[in-house]
Amino acid sequence: MGLPAMFDWNSVIREVVIGATKSDGGTRAVSYRIGGGTTLPFLEKTPKPPLIAFELCDSPQYWSPIITNYCGDVVNSPAEWAKTAGSAYGADIIRLYLTSTRQRNYSDFEAVKRTVELVLDATGLPLIIEGSNEPKIDSEVFLKCGEAGQGERLLLGTAEASRYRSIAAAALAYNHSLIAQSPIDINLAKQLNILLKEIGVPQDHIVIDPYTGTLGYGFEYSYSAMERIRFSALKGDTDLAMPMICSAVDSLSVKEVRDAEPGTRDTMAVAWEFYTGIAAAAAGAEIICVRHPDSIGKLKEAFRSLAHSKVPTGGD
Amino acid sequence: MALKALDIYKILPKKNCKECGDPTCLTFAMKLAAGKADVDLCPYLDDNAKSVLGATTRPPIRRLKIGIGERSFTVGEEFVLYRHDKTFNNPPGIMLRVSDTQSRDEIASVAARVRDETFTRVGTGLMFNGITIINSSKSPQVFAKAVETVENTADLPLVLVAETTDALAAALVHCGTYRPIIHAATRSNYREMCALAKQHGCLLVVRAPDLDDLAILAKDCAAEGVQDLLLDPAPQSLNDFIVRSTAIRQLAITRTVPDLGYPVYLDAARNALRDAYLALGIVKYASVIICDPLSPEATKASLTLRQNIYTDPQKPIQMNPGIYRIGSPAKDAPVLLTVNFSLTFFTLEGYLESSRIPCFMFIIDTEGLSVLTAVASGKFSETLVRDAIKKFGLENEVSHRTLIIPGYAAPLSGRIEETTGWKVMVGPRDAADIGEFLHEEWKQ
Ligand code: B12
Ligand code: SF4
Repeated sequence: MGLPAMFDWNSVIREVVIGATKSDGGTRAVSYRIGGGTTLPFLEKTPKPPLIAFELCDSPQYWSPIITNYCGDVVNSPAEWAKTAGSAYGADIIRLYLTSTRQRNYSDFEAVKRTVELVLDATGLPLIIEGSNEPKIDSEVFLKCGEAGQGERLLLGTAEASRYRSIAAAALAYNHSLIAQSPIDINLAKQLNILLKEIGVPQDHIVIDPYTGTLGYGFEYSYSAMERIRFSALKGDTDLAMPMICSAVDSLSVKEVRDAEPGTRDTMAVAWEFYTGIAAAAAGAEIICVRHPDSIGKLKEAFRSLAHSKVPTGGD
Repeated sequence: MALKALDIYKILPKKNCKECGDPTCLTFAMKLAAGKADVDLCPYLDDNAKSVLGATTRPPIRRLKIGIGERSFTVGEEFVLYRHDKTFNNPPGIMLRVSDTQSRDEIASVAARVRDETFTRVGTGLMFNGITIINSSKSPQVFAKAVETVENTADLPLVLVAETTDALAAALVHCGTYRPIIHAATRSNYREMCALAKQHGCLLVVRAPDLDDLAILAKDCAAEGVQDLLLDPAPQSLNDFIVRSTAIRQLAITRTVPDLGYPVYLDAARNALRDAYLALGIVKYASVIICDPLSPEATKASLTLRQNIYTDPQKPIQMNPGIYRIGSPAKDAPVLLTVNFSLTFFTLEGYLESSRIPCFMFIIDTEGLSVLTAVASGKFSETLVRDAIKKFGLENEVSHRTLIIPGYAAPLSGRIEETTGWKVMVGPRDAADIGEFLHEEWKQ
C-alpha cells in the first residue's frame, strides 16, 4: 500500500531549457529541461537528479589556488579546461566566469566574444556565463556573450536588483535565459522577478539564485530561503515558480578549508562543497555549482540514489 | 488535530482541587493545550480521558532521552516540517559504528575518539554522540565482549544492533541500565524485543520498510508497554529515505497517524553514500544516525551542517555587546571594533589570539548581523559606535583614542571619526590578515 497524499499543492515549478541541440537550432550535444516539480524536492514519482555545473574562469589569478593547483595547466585555457570538465571531471554544465573583465579599465570586448566562442567549440555541454563585475561595462560584455552564444540557449548571470537591465537586454535580444540573484530573502527574490517581468523577460527564462552562504557561513539562512521559495511556488506564487541554482562560492575560502593541513585541503574543499550541495538539493536547488573537480563524481553518485524512486510517493 | 483549551476542560474532572499544581481545572486545561503540562499530573482522570488527552496533548513526536549522564541527549519533540516555521529543536545524535569482529583496540579507539573529539565552531564544542555496536560475529559472547570494551573505555550513549535477542540479552548485562537503544523489533520478534526492552529499560527501534506496517508495529510495541520507540523505515536508496522520512514527519506532526509519532532512526553506514545519507539525515528529520567513523573532513562538514540546520534562522546567535580582552592588554593596546554576530566574534577572536598581540575587542550591537550585512542594512552606523563608546566607558579603558574598524566598514570611517572624535584606522577585510596588519601598522 502506498503512502497517503501528504500535501495539497496546486502549482508547478516552471520549466526552463538550458542549452540547444542541433534540432533546436544550437550546437550543444545535450540540453536540459529543469523545473517541472509539483511537490517537495525528490518526492515526485520520477524525480530528476539535479545537474552539476563546473565553475571555471578565463583568468585564473582570481581563482582559489586549491583549484588551480589541482587542475594544473588546463586552467590557462578556458577552452581546454571546459573540455576537461566534461570529459574527465564529468560535469553536466560549464559555468564560465569572465574574470578577465575584472582588470582595471577593461575594454577588450572582442576577446570576450572570442573566449565564449572557443569554449562553445571545445565542449558540447550547455553553458552558463558569468559576465562582468563592473556595471559600467555590463552592457558590452553581456551583448558580446549573447551574440557569441546566439542559438545556444545560454544561461547568463547574474542579474541583481541594482543591475539587471544590461543582462536582460542581452538575454532578450538573443533568446537566452538568465540568473536572478537576491541576498537570501524570499521577498527580494520575488521583487527582482517582478522587475524582470516588467521589462519583458519571459518567466520561463529565469533561474532563481537565492544566494548560497556556504556551510557554516550563512547556509542556515540560504537553506530556509530555498525551502520557502519552493513552498511559495507550489502554493501558487507564479513570481517565485522558477527553478533554483545554488553556488556556494565561499566554500573554498572559509577558515576550515583554508586552514586545513596542506595534505587534506582538497578533501576538505570537497567535503564543504558536497555537504552544501546535497543539502541545497534537498531544499530545492536544481543546478548545483562546484569548483573542485572531485566534488562532481561524489555528488553525481548521491544524486543517482536520490532520484532513484522505487516506492510510490503518494496520491494513491 | 490538537484540542483547544475549552475542549480539554470539558473532559477534566472539574474538581478544582489544585493537586495538579494549577489553581483551577481551566488553567490546567490551558497548559495542556499549549503542550506545557502532562496529563498524568491530574490524579482523577479516568483511563478513557487520559487516552483521549494523551494522544492530543503530548508532542506529536515523542521526546526521548538517550543514554544517561553527561553525554546523554534528547531527540524528538519536533513540531514542524520546515525549520523556518518554528526552528528544529533537538539535533540528531550521530553514533559511530564498530563491529564486534574488530579487535579490542580498534573498538576502544573509536570509543575514545567519540569520548574526546571536539570541533569548536562559533564558541560551541561539536561532538559525535555515541557508539553503535554491530553483532557481525553472530556470537552473543563476542558481542557482549565488544560492548564491555566500549563500556570500559567511555560512558557514552549506545546503539546495540543484533539479529537475535540472545545476543542483545548478553550485551545488556554490561549496559542495560544506561538507556541504550536496541535494534530492531520486527513483526516476527517484537514480543521478545519488547520484553527485553522492558526488562532493561532500553529504547527500542522498530523496523519495517512499509509505513503502514511500521505504524502497526509501533502500536503493537506500545501495547506491550514499550513507548520509547524509534522508527527505522529501512530505506534502500537516498530517495527511499527522503520520501519515507518526510512522510513520517508530516503524518506525525499533523497527528494524522499518531502511531508514527516517534523519532526516526537512520543507518548511514553504507560506504560509498555515507556522507550523502548523513547530510540528508541531518536535513530531513533523522534523530539518531549511525555511521562508520568519518574522516576529519567529513567530521567537520557534517557537524557544521548539523549546527546550521538546528540554528533558529530567525535569531542569529549573538554575543553581548561590550569590551572583551584578548590576553592582558595594557592601556595603550589596540581596540578592534566589530559586530555582535557570534560567528564574526569568534572568527576575529581566533585570529587575534594567534597573533599574540594583547588587545581589546569592542563589540557593538548590530542585532546579530555580520559586518557586511550590518553595513548593507544600515544597522552599523556612526551613532551606534558613539553611543557604545559612552555606554561601555571605552575612554576609561584605554589611554589612546584610536579605533580599528573592519575593512568592510571602510565607507563609514569618515563619519565615525567626525561623530566620535576618535581616530579611525581601517583594518583588513579578512580577519585572517589581522595579525600582519597589527604587527605592521599598530605603533602607538
Ligand atoms: C548570512 C547572510 C545574511 C543573513 C544574516 C546573517 C547575519 N547574522 O548577519 C541574512 C539572511 C539575515 C542576511 C540579510 C541581509 N543581507 Co546578507 N549575507 C549573508 C552572507 C551570505 C554571509 C554573512 C556572514 O555570515 N559572513 C561571515 C562573517 C564572519 O563575516 P563578517 O562579519 O563580515 O566578518 C568577517 C570580516 O568582516 C572580518 N572582520 C570582522 N570584524 C572585524 C573587525 C576588524 C577590526 C577587522 C579588521 C576585520 C573584521 O572578519 C570576518 C572574517 O573574515 C553574506 C555574503 C558573504 N559572503 O559575506 C551576505 C551579504 C552580506 N548580505 C547582503 C545584503 C545586501 C543583505 C541585506 C541588506 C538584504 C536586504 N536588503 O534585506 C539583508 C540585511 C539584513 C537585515 N536584517 O536588514 C550583501 C551585502 C552587499 C554589500 N556588499 O554591501 C551580501 C554580501 C550578499 C550579496 N552578495 O548580495 N544576510
Ligand atoms: S488535579 Fe485535576 S481535578 Fe484537580 S484541579 Fe487539577 S485538573 Fe482539576
